[in-house]
Amino acid sequence: MTIETALQSGVFLTYLKIIGGLLVFAGLMITILRVSGKNVAGVWNTYRGWLVMVPIVIGTIFLGRTAIIAGVALLAIFGFKEFARATGLYNDWWMTGLVYLGIILLGVASYVPDPRLGYDGWYGFFMALPAFVVGAILLVPIFRNRAQGQLQQIALAIVGFMYFGWMFSHLGFLANTPYAYGYILYLIFAVEINDIAAFTCGKLFGKHKLRENISPNKTIEGSVGAVIISLGIPWLLWFSFPHFEPWHLVVAGLVVGVGGQLGDLVISYIKRDIGIKDMGSMIKGHGGILDRVDSMIFVAPIFFHVIRWIHGIREIPVS
Amino acid sequence: MTEWEYNPSPDIDETMSEQLRNFPRQPHMLMYAIRSIVAMLLRGWMRVYHRMRIDGRPNLPATGSYILVCNHTSHLDTLCMLCSVPLRQIHRTFPAAAADYFFSSLPRSAISAILINALPFDRKLKGAESLTVCSELLKNEGNILIIFPEGTRTTTGEMSRFRSGIGRLVVGTDLAVVPCYLDGGTKAWPKGKAFPRPKKLSLRIGKPKRYSHLDKSSESVVAICEDLQNAVAELGSSPK
Repeated sequence: MTIETALQSGVFLTYLKIIGGLLVFAGLMITILRVSGKNVAGVWNTYRGWLVMVPIVIGTIFLGRTAIIAGVALLAIFGFKEFARATGLYNDWWMTGLVYLGIILLGVASYVPDPRLGYDGWYGFFMALPAFVVGAILLVPIFRNRAQGQLQQIALAIVGFMYFGWMFSHLGFLANTPYAYGYILYLIFAVEINDIAAFTCGKLFGKHKLRENISPNKTIEGSVGAVIISLGIPWLLWFSFPHFEPWHLVVAGLVVGVGGQLGDLVISYIKRDIGIKDMGSMIKGHGGILDRVDSMIFVAPIFFHVIRWIHGIREIPVS
Repeated sequence: MTEWEYNPSPDIDETMSEQLRNFPRQPHMLMYAIRSIVAMLLRGWMRVYHRMRIDGRPNLPATGSYILVCNHTSHLDTLCMLCSVPLRQIHRTFPAAAADYFFSSLPRSAISAILINALPFDRKLKGAESLTVCSELLKNEGNILIIFPEGTRTTTGEMSRFRSGIGRLVVGTDLAVVPCYLDGGTKAWPKGKAFPRPKKLSLRIGKPKRYSHLDKSSESVVAICEDLQNAVAELGSSPK
């Protein structure tokens, strides 16, 4: 994955057209609504956020493998930082620093070639890292010779590393696969469409609460609608993974449709337990980083491993 | 089973520029790292380029919060004062800086907040509010506040009258105030010039003063200001 391959990749260029077209279309719709006298201030803010985020994401993918892995690692670090600041773990600089280090190592593992096999991305190291980082986190109280309150600290640090670091970093590791453009662009695109679909279907048909104690605005109707739409998306984007058989498309749609909403709910109950509304204020109109990538954190590792079981992540399948 | 106690950062829903401008700022790992490195580089720079000399360092109180007051000749004053405190206290040393100048734009706020660790002081509208922030800061053990009681940089080289803020801050408390005098600032960085010149700087730190014996009245405020002004002037006129 380099700039040259991006320019020659039909998949990348097609996504560029689709996403560009959708942004222009959405902008036109909002303008029409505005002219017709509707209050669109909230939507407009969200749209402006998209206008900033989309070029950054597309630009990163355009730059290639190194930029993607570094970008995912940075997002994971900033995402974890939001979690740490929200829970108060950030006051513990040893724990926070260790998790940062662990996430950087995940990036390194995704980047360096496997020393025995020679492929890009050291899969064995990537998968072994949780044992070592969790082990290191568990040692901190011993070094400090302190017991009080340490269970909460290590628990938060381990959740922070495993969920926001390790699980999310699978997205970066996908850059090593032969269908990297298709997989990564499909994941990002489908996850966001799934989010928007859940919101829109909920607004249009929503009646029954999905999980009223976690996220009172989500409805069963919105959720089912999003899954249906997500099941359709892979068929439209079949060109991303031409080697997929139809049932693979169903799996890809299910992973995104169900996993995306579960990821959303996970962040929702974390926020609700802490008692905050947004994880941060990094992206205007969207909240914090974690409010934006919440679905992806859950989806990325599941998609990665499902792909790995079906096709492997190295060998280029014969289509 | 008891419930966990979360401790979210109070600035969690603020944007980056708000986080830089508001005070007190939340501790930030990267900010601390950058500030420590810059402080070390700054110390080297002052030693080499300005051949800076600091006299009377043992006069700085070892414990408790205190205030450093100094004559204000140039931007170098703040940097010199930052070099005079022990390096490990650099993150708890806050130069009071005019909010209308040092926090007027995002890049300026970033430099003031990250590198200088400045406390945004409103010298126009909310002076009393800013003083409250200062006294809250000094209630915590181990914080150092740097104040230039003249309120602005001198253009003539002569020291102007101390404003009443320092008196109001100290009156009725047991806070230690350390008078300092910086010699050579006007020549080293004249107001309006873009870069400092390689002129010599000399900082003299006086004995700490306490005013717990004075009662809380406007006369005491005036007396404190005069006393501190004399102390600073005396350091300036003392033989090198």
